Amino acid sequence: MKKMIAWIDARFPLTHFIKHELTDYPTPRNLSYWWGFGFLAGFVLVIQLVTGIFLAMHYKADSNLAFDSVQHIMRDVNYGWLIRYLHSTGASAFFAVIYIHMARTLYYGSYRRPRELLWWTGQGLLLLMMATAFMGYLLPWGQMSYWGATVITNLFSATPIIGDQIVIWLRGGFAVDDPTLTRFFSMHYLFPFLISAAAVIHLIALHTVRSSNPSGLNFADKDNIPFHPYFTIKDLFGLGVFMLVYFGIVFFDPELVIDVTNNIPANPMQTPADIVPEWYFLPFYAILRAVPDLIGGVVAMALSVLIFAALPYLDRSRISGGAIYRPVYRTMFYVFIVDIFVLGYVGAHPPESDLKVVGEVATAIYFSTFLLLPFLSRWEEGYLLKIGLPVEVMEMTQKEIEEAR
Amino acid sequence: MNHFRLWALFASLACTMNGTALAAGDKDAILQRGAHVATEVCNACHSLKYLKYSDFLKLGFTKQQVDVMRGDRNMGDPLIAQMAPGDALTAFGIVPPDLSLMAKAREGGVGYIDSMITGFYTAANGNTDNHVFPGIKMPDILGISQADPASRKALLVKAKDVSTFLGWAADPMAEARENLGYAVMAYVFVLTVLLYLLKRKIWGRLEWSTPGLH
Repeated sequence: MKKMIAWIDARFPLTHFIKHELTDYPTPRNLSYWWGFGFLAGFVLVIQLVTGIFLAMHYKADSNLAFDSVQHIMRDVNYGWLIRYLHSTGASAFFAVIYIHMARTLYYGSYRRPRELLWWTGQGLLLLMMATAFMGYLLPWGQMSYWGATVITNLFSATPIIGDQIVIWLRGGFAVDDPTLTRFFSMHYLFPFLISAAAVIHLIALHTVRSSNPSGLNFADKDNIPFHPYFTIKDLFGLGVFMLVYFGIVFFDPELVIDVTNNIPANPMQTPADIVPEWYFLPFYAILRAVPDLIGGVVAMALSVLIFAALPYLDRSRISGGAIYRPVYRTMFYVFIVDIFVLGYVGAHPPESDLKVVGEVATAIYFSTFLLLPFLSRWEEGYLLKIGLPVEVMEMTQKEIEEAR
Repeated sequence: MNHFRLWALFASLACTMNGTALAAGDKDAILQRGAHVATEVCNACHSLKYLKYSDFLKLGFTKQQVDVMRGDRNMGDPLIAQMAPGDALTAFGIVPPDLSLMAKAREGGVGYIDSMITGFYTAANGNTDNHVFPGIKMPDILGISQADPASRKALLVKAKDVSTFLGWAADPMAEARENLGYAVMAYVFVLTVLLYLLKRKIWGRLEWSTPGLH
């Protein structure tokens, strides 16, 4: 065994890689459980890949057979119901985990210098995930699959001049139909490979700049500990808790994350009373509907996702430690989180009188959070430096200011 | 997505623990009675195409009983409607929807179906209408709008039986799923407790030299 590893090591940096990037990888010892969600996202990605490969063995990407083939999986395939519910619940779990991962990044300011590229590769992953989830949702060929795809592809008609051509090109026809289904299936199988590659790039960026930590201070070597066994065991315990929630839904209420309307086969002649996207798209959907005209709505929705990329520049404070030492930023963070839940509620309901106003106000709050950040963060920095901060934080902040020059 | 469903989930878990859930025998009896109503009444106009006659064997029916239910159809045949879709279109102006997934395709599920088939009443103008689905094209097949209080009681039981059966038809793997679920949850729970204890043990080796890092 030893000889074999030596043989490999002479030709490939196996031991070096495992030692430097896994077992001995220096990790701040004060990482809380909020830092475990990246690992969980990786775990869910593997679940989605494996269950997806098995589902594809039994699924038929044909508009006449797709709905029936899902029922074939549910009823006739050995443990087909388990594979499908792991996959359908896994999609929701993926977004839940990623949103918490992002909220942690926002709270602790982990997107700030020098972690901009880490943040942006994460953004790219989110966009890929959204596209994958959207295309996967068409595959069961239920009513909500069909009409959701119709509404979302139709958004591209907002493109100037060539809008209508783009919609036809995306759908492979004038309406969502068999060509749309087959191409979405093909892309839904392709994108997870892109996600896997992007996840590797995300990890390379992470291992270059290393993890941020709750204190925001840069640690001396003595405060870093090897990833293994400390964080392997911490992440595994977190995984246990995650699995209790995940399997709880998979085995006891798997239809919780499936809209009842999607158990009706797609019918192009009959629009459902209410077209509602999956829960993870609801806040963005509410923003789309809050703007009265189509082009404006589409731009606002796209911006609501892409604007996160600008955070490293919008947040002009150099106080380390994210929201911990920054009362103004902290308040903004909580207002923003509550605002997203409000938008989610608005997105799930028909936009009638009062709720329409709520959606518009929540959209305004959403964007003003980003627009006010450059001014409030700089003002807050000056204020905090004047009233004083803990010594280590003060030192770090002075260093940051020096380095930024 | 639906708060009510979460509470219902907790409530049903609590009921199971209290032993108030139906005994397995009662449940089979209800499902068997419901299966009779579904094949003899509903299936006249509605298909239940994701069910095969052989599926009835899973409800405790004997092969002879299923032979009677299937008539000249084969054991592996799906339950297509007795009435041809074209005839149904002429009679009702609509092809009656397939019922095999109905309990999953309506908000409220089994409860919705139960309320709908018992929701028929005679309106002021003498026509029959439905409280749950006004303007429904389906006739009052159980005759609930005409029933006197005594026979109404029996009809309510019949409605409950058939809606319970449709719940099973929409999710025949539910029992197997929950049984496996209890084993999985117990396993993961014990595993998680052990992982937590191991985590405490491993982290106990660390000395916290820098104060304030906890």
